[in-house]
Amino acid sequence: MEAQDDSAQALKDCAPFVKFAKLDELLALGRANSLWPLTFGLACCAIEMMAAGASRFDLARFGAEVFRPSPRQADLMIIAGTVNKKMAAAVKTLYDQMPEPKWVIAMGNCAISGGPFVFPGQYAVIEGVDKLFPVDVYIPGCPPRPEALIEGLLKLEEKLTGKRRWPIVKAE
Amino acid sequence: MTPNLPEPKLGAAQPVSPTAAPAPAAPVPPKPAVAAAPPSPTPAQPAPAPAPVLPNPLPHAPLPFKGVDYAAKGYHADATVTPDQVVFAAELLDKEGLSLDTITGVDWMAEGQMEVVYDYFHPAKALRVVVRTRIPRDNPEIPTIQKVFPGANWHERETHDFFGIKFLGHPNLTPFLLPEDATYHPLRKDFTQC
Amino acid sequence: MLVKDQLKTEIAADGSPRETFVINLGPQHPATHGVLRVKMTMDGEYVVRAEPVCGYIHRMQEKMGENRTYAQFLPNTSRIDYLSALTYTHGFVGAVERALKLQVPPRAEYIRVITSELNRISSHLVWWGAFLLDLGGFTPLLYAFDDREKILDLLEGITGSRLTYSYFRIGGLYNDIDDTFINGTRAFVAQMRPRLKMYRSLVTDNIILRKRLIDIGPITEEMCRKYGATGPVIRGSGVPYDVRKVEPYSVYSDLDFVVPTFEEGDSMARYLVRMEEMAQSLRIIEQGLDKLPAGPVMAEKVPRVLKLPAGDYCYAVEAARGRFAVRIVSDNKEIPYRVKLRTPSLSNLSLFEEASAGMLLPDALALMGSLDLVIPDIDR
Repeated sequence: MEAQDDSAQALKDCAPFVKFAKLDELLALGRANSLWPLTFGLACCAIEMMAAGASRFDLARFGAEVFRPSPRQADLMIIAGTVNKKMAAAVKTLYDQMPEPKWVIAMGNCAISGGPFVFPGQYAVIEGVDKLFPVDVYIPGCPPRPEALIEGLLKLEEKLTGKRRWPIVKAE
Repeated sequence: MTPNLPEPKLGAAQPVSPTAAPAPAAPVPPKPAVAAAPPSPTPAQPAPAPAPVLPNPLPHAPLPFKGVDYAAKGYHADATVTPDQVVFAAELLDKEGLSLDTITGVDWMAEGQMEVVYDYFHPAKALRVVVRTRIPRDNPEIPTIQKVFPGANWHERETHDFFGIKFLGHPNLTPFLLPEDATYHPLRKDFTQC
Repeated sequence: MLVKDQLKTEIAADGSPRETFVINLGPQHPATHGVLRVKMTMDGEYVVRAEPVCGYIHRMQEKMGENRTYAQFLPNTSRIDYLSALTYTHGFVGAVERALKLQVPPRAEYIRVITSELNRISSHLVWWGAFLLDLGGFTPLLYAFDDREKILDLLEGITGSRLTYSYFRIGGLYNDIDDTFINGTRAFVAQMRPRLKMYRSLVTDNIILRKRLIDIGPITEEMCRKYGATGPVIRGSGVPYDVRKVEPYSVYSDLDFVVPTFEEGDSMARYLVRMEEMAQSLRIIEQGLDKLPAGPVMAEKVPRVLKLPAGDYCYAVEAARGRFAVRIVSDNKEIPYRVKLRTPSLSNLSLFEEASAGMLLPDALALMGSLDLVIPDIDR
């Protein structure tokens, strides 16, 4: 009995100095706060992705500024643009080359469902990149604003850690 | 130490009004334009007013160029040639100093023909020339102008992609915009699915 | 790691044997500005043959032209070359207006010119930032995007969109401009001029940039003409061809601006053409705002159902990358029979194979960057 009281008291005393957490949560926090995207801009959404990485919207605040050209060094693939039947094999290869754990954000209407290029008789566009591999976050828009991309990133972080680090902006 | 950057040649171009008929160097009295037969009107409609006969911008050229109202159509001269004359037309316009704008295919399925339209533009004056030709739809073949204008290489590959038109003598008539193993021609009017 | 049987031995032009190998540049590559694949046959660091392979972003724009009415096709026009979206929309609506003989009110024409020139500046800024990124400098990209955000704020205020505006309508505009736009544009012009001076002293006069670009990638006037290259590519080779001057459209003939042309034909010349063009666009915007007439922004009698008379109609505009032309073939129905889009990047890239033979790989990339390509412009 005394030992238990002592240990409870000891925990209370050193609470300001010593934190305990599950390793999974630590890893998830680390991964969420330093997502390294693959430079994979295909079309118009790529420009908004570049704008999100530039000075005004600044993805660096969220740890995701380091765009890696090589899939071996990236853990997040932001599909920004239309995926073509000719390009589909290359996209799948890039996805396969990324090491686990990896996540995919489908940015823009084209990556979600083919976008404005779907019409009866269409012959070239893959209607949504989730027909090739699983997608974690969908960001609608044509193109979505850089703020929307940041929101998608925050949603992905929430998926990883279970907590949202930035409050949801409410319109006034 | 660092070399001075070159200064731009500003204001070198004289803006040429498109309405002024661009004449070649030697003033040639304008020959009457080769009149194309206006389409015969259907009995229910009144006959269309005859189009104004505009001077031929290339009067010395041995091809049937017609002057065209630029403000209405967007080009200055138009010639319909036979398929075996397209290379000659390209060489002619190359000597005139024009540049290849684009090559368009049009599938006139109802008439059983395909039309190949060559657009040329002049880099120094307002002169846009169109050369068109028709080939049979079930066996569309036409000689390539790639030796005259190397830029036609890609335009012809694209037209072949979309319509299946064979450009005879083309060094590399493989799919350009479609996947490498594509066998379909999507802009044909009877294309349904690949 | 290359294995022995991937190396091919060839005999070079001077009789010496050399081993070549083929590497792929793209379709995913930071320097290709989109999905372009270039099959490069390399002799060490030298490019023997660079063969571009396109089609990885082919989005069937011309096929959609046959499946959409004229008004429904307008969003497509912005997405062909999304960086100068307004000029492409201008090309398409110009062709339809030419065919229908619609009189666009002068206020709408002036606003079209002002917004198109703002779009040209923002396109050149993206090119500038990305080009410097290719050459190895990251900072100009941030400066360029900062300026660009100001332009995008202005255009968002009147069009509602940042990148793919569908602002022009057949017959005029969708929305009139307001004082916020006019005052904001004047303020932007005032602060952009010193920025361009700063870019000149910071980047253009930089010795590293000069060594990377001067005498690199020479393109002759004859090569431009044979391949149909236009825009800053032909203006950097000494030919002052600009559709705004040679085939004036809209109200460009009422505005006073010059067409910067450089003789050298190297990458530096093309670079300087674009930097000068930004300054000229600022001039055009100022004049446009000074001369802006009052009045409606939409033509009076635009038919509800647009049917062009049978025949073909063309319209050409000077986009940021070169000459963009639309050819509409109509058979008197609501949807076009054929829409042909003549895009500048296709003609500009077609000379890359010939121009890059024998160059070092980084120089070939500098040449490709100086051509200012947008790949959906090629693939449509």
